[in-house]
Amino acid sequence: MTLFTPLRTRLMSPDRALFVNDGGGFFRAGPDFLDRLSSNALSGSDRRFLIERGHGVDDTDPLGETAFLYNVAERLTLSGPLDYLILVPTLRCNLSCSYCQVSRAALDQKGYDWSDATLEAVLGMIDGLPGPRIKIEFQGGEPTLRPDLIRAVIDRAKRFQERQFVICTNLQQLEPELLALLDEPEMFISTSLDGDFDTHRRNRTEDADTTRAFRRNLATVVERYGPHKVSALPTIDPERPPQPDALIDAYLEFGLESIFLRPINYQGFARKRHASSREQDLAWRAYHEAFVRRLIERNWNDRSVVLEESYFSICLRRIFQPGADRHVDLRNPNPLGHDYVVIDHDGQVYPTDEARMLSRSGVIDLAIGDVHTGWDTPARATLNAHASNLRDPACQRCAYQPYCGRDVIDDIARYGRIDLPRHETEFCRRHLSLFDLAFRLIYDEDECTRYSLARWLRLEGMPVSFGEHWA
Amino acid sequence: MIPLNLSALAEPQPAFVTRLRRVRSETGKSDSVWIEGQGDSHLFAGRGGLVALEGADVVALDGDVILVDPERGRAERLLRAGSAHNTLLVTERCDQLCVMCSQPPKKTHDDRFALLEQACLLAEPEAMIGITGGEPTLYKHELLGMIERVHDARPDLGFHVLTNAQHFEEADVARLRKLAFRQVTWGIPLYAAEPELHDRIVGKPGAFARLMESFACLVRAGQRIELRTVLIQDNAAALPELARLVSARLRFVSAWSIMQLEHIGFARGRWRSLYVAHGEDFGPVGQAIDIARLHGIHARLFNFPLCSVPEPYRILAAPSISDWKRKYAPGCEGCRAQDHCCGFFEWHPDDALGGVTPL
Repeated sequence: MTLFTPLRTRLMSPDRALFVNDGGGFFRAGPDFLDRLSSNALSGSDRRFLIERGHGVDDTDPLGETAFLYNVAERLTLSGPLDYLILVPTLRCNLSCSYCQVSRAALDQKGYDWSDATLEAVLGMIDGLPGPRIKIEFQGGEPTLRPDLIRAVIDRAKRFQERQFVICTNLQQLEPELLALLDEPEMFISTSLDGDFDTHRRNRTEDADTTRAFRRNLATVVERYGPHKVSALPTIDPERPPQPDALIDAYLEFGLESIFLRPINYQGFARKRHASSREQDLAWRAYHEAFVRRLIERNWNDRSVVLEESYFSICLRRIFQPGADRHVDLRNPNPLGHDYVVIDHDGQVYPTDEARMLSRSGVIDLAIGDVHTGWDTPARATLNAHASNLRDPACQRCAYQPYCGRDVIDDIARYGRIDLPRHETEFCRRHLSLFDLAFRLIYDEDECTRYSLARWLRLEGMPVSFGEHWA
Repeated sequence: MIPLNLSALAEPQPAFVTRLRRVRSETGKSDSVWIEGQGDSHLFAGRGGLVALEGADVVALDGDVILVDPERGRAERLLRAGSAHNTLLVTERCDQLCVMCSQPPKKTHDDRFALLEQACLLAEPEAMIGITGGEPTLYKHELLGMIERVHDARPDLGFHVLTNAQHFEEADVARLRKLAFRQVTWGIPLYAAEPELHDRIVGKPGAFARLMESFACLVRAGQRIELRTVLIQDNAAALPELARLVSARLRFVSAWSIMQLEHIGFARGRWRSLYVAHGEDFGPVGQAIDIARLHGIHARLFNFPLCSVPEPYRILAAPSISDWKRKYAPGCEGCRAQDHCCGFFEWHPDDALGGVTPL
């Protein structure tokens, strides 16, 4: 009877360690168990617990190995056919944010919109997709400067059974032609709301009139369509983050309950004007945790709304519900240029939106092809050769590997290379910190915490406990 | 209740399968076409000569695939047109003896595979056909052969096979990887995570261990598995632990159905010692669901009337009771949720119909 224990550990406190198996199942234990495990002195009940929970595989157990392999496989992304497009019909914008990640073009500049040939190629490409699902996100620039191009695309995508369109807009203008687009039932709105009036003006709109116009338009779309059709993200200057309550209230004012707390992205204009955004420090991590804890308090005090920090919820779901999430920024392997692509204003094709930003900044050309000739190219193959955390020596030892992802573009953006020891990268530090927080909350027996975790995990009820402790 | 058996008069001959039609259709070589009749008494003519049927109206019978047994003077409506709940019984023998069995097994076996196969070929397009017993895999090679042959002729059909999964073995893996078996869901009961408790409930020592072995074979063959757990007093408190087993080691199941007891078969006589009034204490069921759903398992409730389930969990309660055996309680009158509600089994005892609240 040989017991194989594919377990990795992470210290949670001086007398508590987290154990995670390769399939993502986990438990917490104390030093006594760790001693028994490391000195090969497991008791009968230890062995039973490990086998029954899938933390150990015994060669006399007929199902164990198959179940274990299934669980490991379930953690891996299986990239489906191309069904998610990020389209950039124009790079021009009517705002000029100091941290603009795409280095937008000015309103009157020529040559930053799709040409007729590019539009034709995009439509032809859409015609060739297998279906039956399609998701198209319109990015910019400010895509609503070209409602005609958006209309042409969504008309062409009518043949798909399941359609979802998202317009990422600054909502500065709400012309009738744009409203007619937003009226489409499959159309969703994604916008930026940096906080209260002054914060938003300081970061984005620069003057009070422009700020007022944005807020009026945001209120209009929320009222017209309901908050389910509108999402907003704040971009936060980590050097002076808003008070959590001020930010939450600014969102609730518009009925928005999900907040994707996003520090300035080290891209585009921000690389020069916000150079400190290359990496976040402990102060940011502490701010994030305080923010999440404040959400927990407020959710408990007022059950009529479920506030959440979107990215934290994504991390939480990756711990418990493999395969349930199609968030392309956190998955492993992270297939690039397969199930989703970005098509830029000039027809160039990028594997991610960040890759587009980086190329635009002139740091490195990460285009994998173009919409006319395709993107099954050596460039794409090169990126994919490194788009997994499975063989990374640091990740192999990390308890969070089954939940985590791999983002080569992020490494290139920050360090210009992808071969740094993983734990020296911002991606790694950020996710270690997020998963550490997740497990602190998972093992927090407080009812308020359990209530929020259950809502963030989209559960009907409220589990008595989220994680087991083995003494 | 919709009648499934009719009395039938036909010329003496071996049992045969035919499809009933009010009017002749172009693809009708297996059809029997309506000649005359009224009320519940009708005459059809077709491949078995004349058949006189009694017990259902011709409008209801139109399109049904029936098995006529002249010797016994009866006809069985094998595949009712337009019903999503058609089930073929392939044997009444079983090698388990579950305490709550809804269809207590018999010792003898009446081999009808050839007739059932003909019936499948006459099924409506894209039909999902249930296979049940007894234990269908006691005749595993006949069963797999039937599914393969039907798939060759009718790749549009799907099968849902209820099995105790005591008979799958390594040698089946290659065969089950064939295309035909992508159209199959295996509905497999598991009552507890503790082997002794499961074995006691199914009346067969070693059943739990054998089941785990079969699971390994089915998973490696890429088979779709629906796990089924009937709620009884013996396993109610053990449901949360079962949920942990499912979440850790049976993650491959496409669904886990927790089922309320059916007042039929053995459960009739043992009702008082088996039935759990979940409306009074939803605790262990709720906890089991919480654990399973936390871990992304598609848990759902079968045979739980909506109003008897705490509000947050209602979304998991399926209208699971087949149309032909569903009824509603007197207290259900005026309820606007009946379309989404399983209601009760026709044979649910009247004194257990209380406690409903119209929604």
